[in-house]
Amino acid sequence: MAIVKMDNISLIGLEADKEEIIKELMKLGVLDITSLEGMAEDEEWSEHLSRDGCEEEVFRLDSQIQKIKSAIEYLSQYDTRKKVLFAPKKAVDISKYREISESQENLWNLVDKIERYDQLIAQLKSELNKCKNTVATLMPWKDLDIPLDLTSTKTTAVVLGTIPSTEDIHELEKSFEEQVPESYFHVIGTDSIQAYVLVIYHNSVEEDALRLLKNHGFSAMQFKDMKGTAKENIDLMQRRIEDIEKETEAIQKEIVAMAGSLDDLEILYDYLTIERDRKKILSRLVKTGRIFMLEGWLPEADGPKVAEHIARKWDCVIELRKPEEGEQFPILLRNNSLVQPFEPITEMYSLPNSNEPDPTPFLSPFFFVFFGLMVGDAAYGILMMIATGLVLLKFKPEGFLNKILKMLFLGGFSTFIWGALFGGWFGDLVTAISNGKYSIPPLWFNPLEDPMKLLIWSFIFGAIHLYTGMAIQAYKLIREGKVWDAIFDIGFWYVFLTGLALLLAGGVAGTIGKYMATAGAVLLVLTQGRSQKNIIKKLFSGILSLYNAVSFMSDVLSYSRLLALGLATGVIASVINAIAVLFGFNIVGILILIITVTIGTVFNVAINALGAYVHGSRLQYVEFFSKFYEGGGKPYQPFKIETKYTKLNDRRTV
Amino acid sequence: MKWYEFFLDGNFLALLGAALAVIVAGLGSARGVAMVGQAAAGVVTEDPERFGQTLLLQALPGTQGIYGLLTAFVILTKIGLVGGSPVELDTVQGLLFLGASLPVAIVGYFSAIGQAKTAVSGVGIVAKRPGELAKAITFAAMVETYAVLALLGSILMIFGIRV
Repeated sequence: MAIVKMDNISLIGLEADKEEIIKELMKLGVLDITSLEGMAEDEEWSEHLSRDGCEEEVFRLDSQIQKIKSAIEYLSQYDTRKKVLFAPKKAVDISKYREISESQENLWNLVDKIERYDQLIAQLKSELNKCKNTVATLMPWKDLDIPLDLTSTKTTAVVLGTIPSTEDIHELEKSFEEQVPESYFHVIGTDSIQAYVLVIYHNSVEEDALRLLKNHGFSAMQFKDMKGTAKENIDLMQRRIEDIEKETEAIQKEIVAMAGSLDDLEILYDYLTIERDRKKILSRLVKTGRIFMLEGWLPEADGPKVAEHIARKWDCVIELRKPEEGEQFPILLRNNSLVQPFEPITEMYSLPNSNEPDPTPFLSPFFFVFFGLMVGDAAYGILMMIATGLVLLKFKPEGFLNKILKMLFLGGFSTFIWGALFGGWFGDLVTAISNGKYSIPPLWFNPLEDPMKLLIWSFIFGAIHLYTGMAIQAYKLIREGKVWDAIFDIGFWYVFLTGLALLLAGGVAGTIGKYMATAGAVLLVLTQGRSQKNIIKKLFSGILSLYNAVSFMSDVLSYSRLLALGLATGVIASVINAIAVLFGFNIVGILILIITVTIGTVFNVAINALGAYVHGSRLQYVEFFSKFYEGGGKPYQPFKIETKYTKLNDRRTV
Repeated sequence: MKWYEFFLDGNFLALLGAALAVIVAGLGSARGVAMVGQAAAGVVTEDPERFGQTLLLQALPGTQGIYGLLTAFVILTKIGLVGGSPVELDTVQGLLFLGASLPVAIVGYFSAIGQAKTAVSGVGIVAKRPGELAKAITFAAMVETYAVLALLGSILMIFGIRV
């Protein structure tokens, strides 16, 4: 089956060997270590052993990793090297790891330096802003040729300030001349909001002068800590701004120079991560003074090999056993290369538990067919295959991304087949360009011309899908020894539902269907109430169970989305084509045609592939899985070397 | 032709139907996509790497607008305004087209907003548990079912009208 069978391994070894054994297990990377926390808290055991772990060390490593991470992020901003999408991890030899870890000192200096530079740049930036603000406030006073810090002479007061532009400045000037002759009123400049004025008055007329100013909305300006004229100060600030800019540039240059160490920092990051993981796993172990114990699951095929390998190298007690009946073990799916791309669909819902079959092989042919049917354009299918194929070949992505891209590749193939069957090649592009003279005939039929036919086929596909789900449930029941349940709950439903379907078809089949449906209904009424004790209740729940036929119907109707989404692609494509040929077949027209079809195709493929994926998954989750699937399996997460930036070259396995 | 007779013109009524499908369903989608976009922007402020995932959720309530356009296009093709020669419709035929456009217009509007609310909550799922994107999408897709059914209803009705 497609769930990998697991062996349980328990290992008791000497505390002195612990570090080496853990290291080796990590390198092997196949053991999913179970937490023995429960055992340490068990009364029977708790006097003899305690939980292992070194949280402080983990904490220390974590904060170091965090520090390097921010340094890496900071440096990457200045990294001038070309970045590649889906860049593969750099392969690094184990000797390089050792080298880096031994010369950590230099890298830590670098990290500190980056941190300092980061702060310095932030400081400079805030100073720069301050200077620019000061210049902006001083600018209107540029033409004032007396020092800003001059606020009085022996017998006069010197006042600087602004008057809002709503006031008539000339009138004010005149009033000063008339009412306070012992003064000097000078407008230095005006802008749209206010006027900038200098007022000098004799101390004896202070009251009058201030009253006059106040009446005209005067607000005084004070330039604290500034010596010299405004112009001098502006020059000073501008020189400082230049300095700051130069300084910042110099620091940035230094940082760019350090970007060369980015590789080393990344290796250190991964090295510390491995170290941290190795310490972190200890919390799942238990120990006494001298010995430690660990327990875990690993694939059946690796079990004996790993056990032997460890036992040969160190003195320890190893026990290997198969899971007991009904015991849950971590789930790893392994399918052939055609089914594997569809594993994410199962994984995203929930992994199967260890007592049931992996649903992926069952759902993948349906997903394949439904996806293609919902996109349904041969040219789009080819484009999808080319695009995903190129990414797969060129970048060789791993894991999840790899599976998704392969799924889209297969989906593209299905799309191509359905497109050819429906006669969709970029929708009706050929017909649109030739103005109806030519068209690519469908191999089967055109759903735009006969939607009812496709609707019925959608229901038939749906019924097959649902029957398959019910068959898997029957298989599960039979495996558990409940053969009668399988016959009553699945077999009789098959009879009843098939009868109903034939009845709809009419003719001779309809007559057969009538008898089948009646027989099925009677059998269901007789058996569905079997869990009830009272005979009347038995009959009643039997009759009530026929109501389930309604929910089966609504499940089947849900497959009408296959038609709706299939039509959507074709119709959107013909909208695009109709716009594309609007401008005729001169040079400009053809150019517009190419651009419109290109952009439209990208949009149409994207929106429909997303729709097909979403609704394809939904049909599996809601309609298919509800017939048989339990899920709730715990994913198999082996204790292994997990790195972010680099890949360890030397990875000996057993 | 008196002014009110214009409202009984078959072609006008059919076009009104097409316009309603685009306008009402489109409004719903626009509101829905905006709602999810706002929630997504909040998450991306904290964690820029969530962009791709939240964008996927944002796209979901956008389909209703497309369904509206699709319906309008089918109507336009049917009455010969796109690719073909225009047909003269009588009042009853026009009303039939108008009626057929209502499912996708009305259900499209409300399902887009309902789906957007679900997707906004889905953005919350992605913010806390990035691995559970598929579940967030599935919840939102459940709402979309009714938009798909409405589209199907509208299109089947339009295909069935004799012109």
